[in-house]
Amino acid sequence: MKLNLIGLAFGVMFGGVLAASNLHEYDTIHAMLRLDEIDVFLFMASAIAVSAPLLWLLERRGMNTPFGGQLKLSRSMPEAHHLKGGALFGVGWAIAGTCPAPALVMVSSGAVLGLVALPGIFLGLHLRERQAMHDLHVGDGEHRHNQISV
Amino acid sequence: MFDLLPDRLPWFVGGPILGLLIVGLFVLANQPLGASGAYVQTTGFLRRRDGVVIWRVWYFVGMFLGGLLVTQVLRSGSEIRTGYDALTNVFPLAVVVPMVFGGATLLGYGAALAGGCTSGHGMCGTAQRSPASLAVTATFMTTAIITTFVLRILTGGDL
Repeated sequence: MKLNLIGLAFGVMFGGVLAASNLHEYDTIHAMLRLDEIDVFLFMASAIAVSAPLLWLLERRGMNTPFGGQLKLSRSMPEAHHLKGGALFGVGWAIAGTCPAPALVMVSSGAVLGLVALPGIFLGLHLRERQAMHDLHVGDGEHRHNQISV
Repeated sequence: MFDLLPDRLPWFVGGPILGLLIVGLFVLANQPLGASGAYVQTTGFLRRRDGVVIWRVWYFVGMFLGGLLVTQVLRSGSEIRTGYDALTNVFPLAVVVPMVFGGATLLGYGAALAGGCTSGHGMCGTAQRSPASLAVTATFMTTAIITTFVLRILTGGDL
């Protein structure tokens, strides 16, 4: 129950930051990938610059999280599926000009073609999940084995 | 509605806030602030599968609501539009729609194969210093920039 509220709150804040930074706009992503504008790269880099040292410190201190046990960061080694998946993701990202989180904000911002992107993302994820039902690849992104359920 | 947030938040404000959100979700739940996993859980929820991580479904709804809050309440002028001005200026809608759908399907498939997307691998994974995430991020940045330049050449510089 509490975890559901945390999920909702973090979703709202995440979607809100993306929207406030205009990352749901095709034009923002397109300008970034055309290398016309450096802002999104700096956005990502500063998010990592803030979170990486804090996570390192908290893990080293053996922090216990209230809902997920001891803080444990993932450090898998790259495998072929990471590179293949990343390559396909990049091509799709450049064509559609959006990715999973911004696509949701795209729809809520009133961009009608977000309603075309959103089912496309669902379909693509589903095609792979169905293909890999018995041998689900888990990465350090979020498709992890230790997903907690309530 | 209110126009409290008329302009784009500068990267040096939005980026660090997002960094703190990433840390916050790890500190509370030991989980990455990703997005593609939430799609998978939401699909499972809608199809009434077993073992759905229900808080990820709330998180999915939250991302939508967060966007709604900022674009429709705190900022005025987000009226109904295509959202793809640069693309619709170059191609007719009959080309743009399949392009967006095809691109989205490709990125969804790629995210599932790689085990994460721009947020899961690109930000949370690199923040964890995961070699796999660094490899995924370097790969998708490279192919995305190449694809953008190929599209630019194919359209004679219009896109």
